Amino acid sequence: MKSSSKHETNTNFLSGKGFNRRNFLRGIGACIALPALESLKPFQSLAAVTSASGLATTATGAPLRTAFVVFPNGSIPSAWWPKSEGIDFEMSPTLQPLAESRRHFQLMGGLDHMEAVGGMDGGGDHARGNSVFLTGVRLKKSATDIRAGVSIDQLIASKVGQTTRLPSLELTCDSVRKSGGCDSGYSCAYQYNISWSSAKTPVTPESNPRLVFERLFGAGTPLERGRNLELRQKEQRSLLDFVMDDARRMKNRLGVGDKDKLDQYLTAVREIEQRIQQSERFGKVKDPGVETPAGIPNSHAEHIQLMYDILVTTFQTDSTRVASLLLAHDGSNRSFSDIGISEGHHDLSHHQNKEDRIKKVAQIDLWYATQFAKFLEKMEAVKDIDGKSLLHNSMIVYGGGNADGNRHTHNNLPIILAGAGGGTLSTGRYVSFGGKPTTNLFLTMADRMGVTGVERFGDSTGRLGAV
Amino acid sequence: MLPPLRQLNRFVPRHGGLGVFPILSVVICLGLGFASSTAQSPPDFKKDIQPVLVKYCYDCHGDGMSKGKVTFDDFKTEEELFQKHDLWLAVLKNVRAGVMPPDDKARPTIDEIHLLEKWIKKASFKIDSANPDPGRVTVRRLNRAEYRNTVKELLGVDFDTEGEFPPDDTGHGFDNIGDVLTLSPMLLEKYLDASKKVVLKVVPLVSAVAAEKMVHGSRFSGEDTDRQNKPGSLSLSYYKQASISNTFKVDLAGDYVAVLDFVAAEKFVDDVFDYNKCRLVFKIDGEEVLNKEYVREGNKSFQLVFPRSWEPGEHHFEVQIEPLTPDEKQVRSLAIKLNGVNVRGPMEKSRWVPPANYHTFFPRKVPADVRQKRAYAHGLLSAFATKAFRRPVDRESAERLSLLAEQTYSQPGKTFESGVAQGMIAILASPRFLFREESAEKPGDGSTYAFLDQYSLASRLSYFLWSSMPDERLFQLAASGKLRENQADEVQRMLKDPKSQAFIRNFSGQWLQSRDVDSVQIDSSAVLARETARSAAANPRENRGTNSNRPVGFGRNRVQLDDELRRAMKSETESYFGYIVQSNRNVLELIDSDYTFLNERLARHYALTNLGVTGSDFRKVTLPEGNPRGGILTHGSVLTVTSNPTRTSPVKRGLFILENILGTPPPPPPPDIPALEEASKGTADRIPSLRETLELHRSKPVCSSCHNRMDPLGLALENFNALGMWREKEQEQPIDASGKLMTGETFTDIRDVKKILTREHSREIYHTLSEKLLTYALGRGLEYYDVDVVDDLVRRLEKENGAFSAALMGVIESTPFQKTRLETNESKKTSVKTASNQLNN
Repeated sequence: MKSSSKHETNTNFLSGKGFNRRNFLRGIGACIALPALESLKPFQSLAAVTSASGLATTATGAPLRTAFVVFPNGSIPSAWWPKSEGIDFEMSPTLQPLAESRRHFQLMGGLDHMEAVGGMDGGGDHARGNSVFLTGVRLKKSATDIRAGVSIDQLIASKVGQTTRLPSLELTCDSVRKSGGCDSGYSCAYQYNISWSSAKTPVTPESNPRLVFERLFGAGTPLERGRNLELRQKEQRSLLDFVMDDARRMKNRLGVGDKDKLDQYLTAVREIEQRIQQSERFGKVKDPGVETPAGIPNSHAEHIQLMYDILVTTFQTDSTRVASLLLAHDGSNRSFSDIGISEGHHDLSHHQNKEDRIKKVAQIDLWYATQFAKFLEKMEAVKDIDGKSLLHNSMIVYGGGNADGNRHTHNNLPIILAGAGGGTLSTGRYVSFGGKPTTNLFLTMADRMGVTGVERFGDSTGRLGAV
Repeated sequence: MLPPLRQLNRFVPRHGGLGVFPILSVVICLGLGFASSTAQSPPDFKKDIQPVLVKYCYDCHGDGMSKGKVTFDDFKTEEELFQKHDLWLAVLKNVRAGVMPPDDKARPTIDEIHLLEKWIKKASFKIDSANPDPGRVTVRRLNRAEYRNTVKELLGVDFDTEGEFPPDDTGHGFDNIGDVLTLSPMLLEKYLDASKKVVLKVVPLVSAVAAEKMVHGSRFSGEDTDRQNKPGSLSLSYYKQASISNTFKVDLAGDYVAVLDFVAAEKFVDDVFDYNKCRLVFKIDGEEVLNKEYVREGNKSFQLVFPRSWEPGEHHFEVQIEPLTPDEKQVRSLAIKLNGVNVRGPMEKSRWVPPANYHTFFPRKVPADVRQKRAYAHGLLSAFATKAFRRPVDRESAERLSLLAEQTYSQPGKTFESGVAQGMIAILASPRFLFREESAEKPGDGSTYAFLDQYSLASRLSYFLWSSMPDERLFQLAASGKLRENQADEVQRMLKDPKSQAFIRNFSGQWLQSRDVDSVQIDSSAVLARETARSAAANPRENRGTNSNRPVGFGRNRVQLDDELRRAMKSETESYFGYIVQSNRNVLELIDSDYTFLNERLARHYALTNLGVTGSDFRKVTLPEGNPRGGILTHGSVLTVTSNPTRTSPVKRGLFILENILGTPPPPPPPDIPALEEASKGTADRIPSLRETLELHRSKPVCSSCHNRMDPLGLALENFNALGMWREKEQEQPIDASGKLMTGETFTDIRDVKKILTREHSREIYHTLSEKLLTYALGRGLEYYDVDVVDDLVRRLEKENGAFSAALMGVIESTPFQKTRLETNESKKTSVKTASNQLNN
């Protein structure tokens, strides 16, 4: 939709409107075969260092990645859940597209987020479902006084982020924000952000594929990009010194209630500084060898696939090992014209037990699952430095903070854990945990990433048993 | 008046200490007077208020009863109860709105209501009308619109913040609320990038360049094209022969460079390719310098360089296109978009001239002496920082800036100008630019509230009315300390300035949600099918779910909510609101009037084709007698935004009116909404109308308490479908738009409702508008201590016959807008420690 790159100097698939994602993929394919091993070689030595410290590394010395992919409005439970548990479970209708990848993921039942249940707070299950999913805390119900908690991806990134050029990456496919208030008195910040670096600071996700790419690999043509990135960082440094000084002085002048805002600014400045320093420790950016995306594609499917592709490239180049992707905010009322559904997703999800509406919602669930299945296939196809696939050395959560979208329940959430976690996860099964906090799973994942010293997270009651 | 003995028993203290007195909410009938908190002492609680409360509210809200989680006898001390401001604010609002006590209970008299209001304001809120509390606004970050406008004002660059920055978080319905606007590391990176882009776009980095002149494509003329005077490109199709030329005059002999600037353009078509080729020939003074074939290049741009040596006189450029493949299918509108020929020279250094804009930024010649250079930089950056920070910059900051500049321009190969540019980039990245820092004047009499200083006032006025920084005049008035006394005149001037369009667009776009017209998804074919189909089975279109943007059918059915129509709908609302502001109309005309603003497209959409509206411009149109349109409730923008993708939503529409017009939004729905069963009684062969389906809301008391307020209002608008078009029927049944409001008035359709709203509920409309306007102007939500401020605004509106200026000037002259709380040692409390504070210096 919005493509502000004026100077298209390259080949066909960058023409303005219809960015051809097939070609982008083909570009990645080119990356896989030859340069993959070569471009990742430098990281082997780094991985050797980090495996000693146990941070975000597998037993074989490959990077260990974790990502959280979140979809909205729950799902139709009867279509999502298979009839029986275990290794030989029959794939449920909604998850059919994932049948080919069944050996690579586990379907997890009986995981809850009780802090998303209304109770005293009344309405607002979409704001809650959205921001509680990765934080596990009770959100403060207010339109202006925001208070959530640190999300699991940010917690992990704060500990392992220094192993990569970028501590973490936050993406979204939601590029339009509604005006007016949001869900039942909750701030819109809760509904459009899933990653939180502190209780008051959401980490704004990026929705424009081009801008993400440029942040990772630099702006301009593949030839200019690397150098542009370096120059940019050097200039940023001296600027940051100056504005840091300004901010400190301003903070001293301001009243108590305002200091938090300046703290956000100061924190942001420090993070950028640290990122630049870190980046410099890693030497020159390895160019991924694919074209920069033109912008936000017109179709939702293309947008989603493009973001998935960027995740693959990011992991493959070891630019980061922690990511989150918000496919659409909880409460999303998007319509899906390519599968013939013109009503809004959210409105349909309140199906009042009408057959035809249930069917349509199940189709949307299926659509999202189809997109995710393609992502898993790509992750499986890319070889990592230890000879295993990217997917093998990852832990990808695919889920949402609402279970039954019609009744706004938050127990037995639809959650998939894809990837073998470097061989430590028991994939290929449907297992039910009988009503444990989802945060227990997150703690377990944090353990795998080498995070230590974290006793509790959100509403956790311990680690999750056999994962 | 002593309460009867029987009732006294209820006041036996529940906890130790003082007795706890249950407070009951009092009903205020709509449209009646309201008390002001003037000089006298507050009514006595035990004597005046308590008996009233006992009589009307205690049944549900005291003595163990706590309906709606509101109870008044759960406290230890009277004072503790009085301090529950949230509770009393809710009481005040609900009672004024007539929501409490409910319909079927007894209501108190006007006097009793006045008494309660007075008591709440004095005893609970402790409002001192002689010295009201202005509240505190959290320091505000510039939002996207403000950043864009400010940068445009400062440097003349239009930076696309919509495309580059993430959307701003909103609170209380607006995106300029200080508390809510956050600043993440990603956003700061974007600010750094943006400041660099913007500065480097206009600030010259060298002091001399070869002279440059662009001969625009539009200035070429030929057989089919006429020379135009405005700069622009010229599109030459691959498929058509063309020959165009331009004559260019050169004054000085020397070496020049002519750069042919063009784009091989195409209109993308999915999965179809265009194999046409053309030959492009470029001649300079009759000599052919370029003769090349071009195929489809996918919008690739070219700058082809041709050095020449020229004598003074006239020189000619010629461009020719020759189509080479006449038999190929022409599917992608391939064209050579000729931007023009950029002529640079003479290239000899002694002939070089200052770049365009040089003297705007660098009025003098750069001194050679190091100290003088530094002083020059100091002066330039000091001036720019003063403008950018919106107040005079202190000497020390200017020093640091000139040092930063020096660090840059001392490097080998770097110019003085690039050093100054770096300083400017730092200024635009500084929090003093990005945040609107405010200061207060010293009060002198030791009070805790003080007037904002004149620079802060200038910024508040300009960001309120222009969403941008103060201009030269505002700044000068502030500098001489004369802004406050002249603010009324300045406001008039600011409204007349075209920049006030930002206020009209941003305020109404968010308050009336017309901004959302850009993205609302409506399936036109499904919406129109609803009017004719008799049953689901007989309506294949609805079940097929076609692409909403393709026109369907013919006649009325060929309607699509395309970009042009969306823009038109937004323009209608903006023009309408703009008219009310600029012509100072009675604000009630927002709800009911005999006019609207149309262009040809919108007039056609509304089936108002016999009013002679042609062309794409918007103009004021008087509506025919009895026409239902007139007022924002009948605007396409509001009607589509409050609809679902395939049908109207009376609930959303009712909610819109309650929230944004009457200011009495219902509480959120209960957490466990039971699933509704099929409402198919007696309608076996057709889909029930929405009215019939919504009947279910009335049948269950847990639903009806709120839906009785929303549904009738929304149903009154049922004659407008989800595209904002008027219809008489739905599913072949005539539409019944009649109903009864919760306050008792009956109506037959929207025309009646509009009259009822403006005649019987004008006070609520004034109140809501005042609240919204005050929120937007202050950049914070309203608190309990603002209650009197809003009441004053309403009083002023009533006194001045609802003229918009009453609200506008009322807001500007109000205490919260003019003053702020001072930070004293007693008021400093520990701020909430966030994780980031750990890294604090």
